[in-house]
Amino acid sequence: MSTTPTQTYLARTFDDERYAWARHPRVRRRAVVAEAALLVALITATLVAGSTDEGWSTWFFVAWTVGMLGFIPLHSLLNLGIRGVLDRDKRSLDEHQRRLGERSHSAMSWPAAALTFAAVAGAVAVVALTEHVPLALCLGFLLWFTSGLLTYWHLAWTSPEEPADLDA
Amino acid sequence: MGRQPKSEADRVHDRIAVLRADRGVSRRELADAVGVHPQTIGYLERGEYAPSLALALRIARFFDLPIEAIFSLDPLPSLSSELLRRTP
Repeated sequence: MSTTPTQTYLARTFDDERYAWARHPRVRRRAVVAEAALLVALITATLVAGSTDEGWSTWFFVAWTVGMLGFIPLHSLLNLGIRGVLDRDKRSLDEHQRRLGERSHSAMSWPAAALTFAAVAGAVAVVALTEHVPLALCLGFLLWFTSGLLTYWHLAWTSPEEPADLDA
Repeated sequence: MGRQPKSEADRVHDRIAVLRADRGVSRRELADAVGVHPQTIGYLERGEYAPSLALALRIARFFDLPIEAIFSLDPLPSLSSELLRRTP
């Protein structure tokens, strides 16, 4: 059996040294904070929209679209910072990278389960209180989405600083 | 699979950096030879990762040394003091 990690296209992209700046702990943590702030803003916007009689409105649609599009560059940056360890084929990871991924999955399993429960409970509560079904679905989606991001945030926040000077 | 040491007592000490310097091998070359990413060699040298048995054996085979000459649960003495101790 081969022990050398397979160099998939995705692995080559994430290991590209042009993105070494994104792997610095300060950059990784800022990406986590930015994603969390964006999610809090979207959840707040959803709750504010839900508190109005109109419910789903143009400003909310614009805020939702801009927020969701904002996730694309932010999550790309975060994924570059963690070398895509959670998204790459297992065969392209070595034992240390697999261990880091498993540690974050394990650490975030209960909080993720709690957020998934909160997603269902939150959506039901919004429908019960406001009768705005689309907004209830938005809130549920955002909380469920957050539960999926927890593992990425944990890994990006806790990964040790990478050793420099690999050719030394 | 290896693991991150949870305490100093849990740490696996190694001589990888010294051996690399002695043989003129870069982290990247060693990593390619033993089938890991070069960063993992750096984590091993910094004591932030304890290798799996398979990886430790591959590193020992690369340097053509017994595994206990490279890895230890106790801090390893310097190679020069080892040499002095063994010289009659």
